[in-house]
Amino acid sequence: MNKARLLAGFAAIATSALFVWSCEQRPALAPKVPSPRFHFNVFACQPLKMTGGGRIDFPPGTADKNPPASHEYETFGAHVMASGQLVNDVCVADQGELEWVDHRDEMRLNGSPLNLHATAVTFAELAIDTDCSDGAVHWGGKLRVQNTGQEDLDFEVWDCDNGEPGAGHDGFAIRVEEPIDGIGEYAVMCPDPSLPPAEPSCTLTGGNRQFHPTH
Amino acid sequence: MKIRFAGLVLLLASTPWSLQGQQVAAGQAFGVAVRTATVSQTAPAAVLPSDGSLAQNQASNVTVGAFVTAQDAFATATGASDDALSDAVSSATLGVVNILNGLITADGVVAMASSTLGNSNTEGSSLANLMVNGVQLDDPAPNTRLDLPGVGFVVLREEVPTSGGITVNMIHVVLQQPLVDALGIVTGYQTTGDIIVGSATSSVN
Repeated sequence: MNKARLLAGFAAIATSALFVWSCEQRPALAPKVPSPRFHFNVFACQPLKMTGGGRIDFPPGTADKNPPASHEYETFGAHVMASGQLVNDVCVADQGELEWVDHRDEMRLNGSPLNLHATAVTFAELAIDTDCSDGAVHWGGKLRVQNTGQEDLDFEVWDCDNGEPGAGHDGFAIRVEEPIDGIGEYAVMCPDPSLPPAEPSCTLTGGNRQFHPTH
Repeated sequence: MKIRFAGLVLLLASTPWSLQGQQVAAGQAFGVAVRTATVSQTAPAAVLPSDGSLAQNQASNVTVGAFVTAQDAFATATGASDDALSDAVSSATLGVVNILNGLITADGVVAMASSTLGNSNTEGSSLANLMVNGVQLDDPAPNTRLDLPGVGFVVLREEVPTSGGITVNMIHVVLQQPLVDALGIVTGYQTTGDIIVGSATSSVN
């Protein structure tokens, strides 16, 4: 019993210390996946822009394309822009867009590929603890499922520009935080720290992400 | 004095620094395009806006006469004009495609073009379960050309370099008619139209 209390005490101290540390390192506050990661943990709120689009072959999300007949791939276009303004502890985005199509057969909804459309991009923060050579951004907001009209789902994106060309180098991952009607939990994430360029982003098999330090 | 000023302007205009501020990104994509003497139709299509944000268009079903039917067509163009950091990515994706009443079929088409300054590619493009005149073709090499007797020819994964960029047309059918002389001998062929399925273009100039 005493040991349990002692352990609980240590855990509380460690949690508090981590909280204080994270507040110092990361002034922005945004939705988080409740699991430890090796990258995308430390952020700064500063002006930034990320543009481009591409293709991911998930699963597994490596630099190799899946056989085309498998239909195991996703395509997207996305951009986000922020001025580095902190409002109520959130590093707010000035504007952004996301168009996402999941071509996997098991993700078809109402007879069409799953199609996600951002209705608002609310936050964007610079990740400063990744191996993304040109820049990395964690951003997100609200989206609509075009297939069904389901709206106001929160989403977050892990976005990585790791040099040129984008295919085989850059990374992208997305998670919808509430279940999608007809599908359930939805995430295209590659939480393997051995996969380049930064967990949880998956490696692009086509396209490019372009980081712009200012705008 | 005027001559000196003109010389300064010329000097500034000729430096690489002055050129770096002029890069412009451009991109466009479309699912299906048909051009003949009587048909001119493109759908769906997306063109990168001049403010460098994102454009997307889509169609669940595309039918162009007896030329093409396609399902689940998406066209996207995105990027930004930002000097040396300019970029453009465009893509067109389609599900089941049927060209000329089954002469060519596929059930997954991805056309993708990507450009940054001095770097353009079509990585990410692919064709799934492609059948041409009854023959299955897996992952054809760029610019694979096959004759279509009585119709013309098809170029698969046609890659066309452009100024500062590239265009990829995943299936490009060139419709032709034979030219026949007074003796009934075929002397050549005349192009009468084009069918393009899955096209993406990007550039940074």
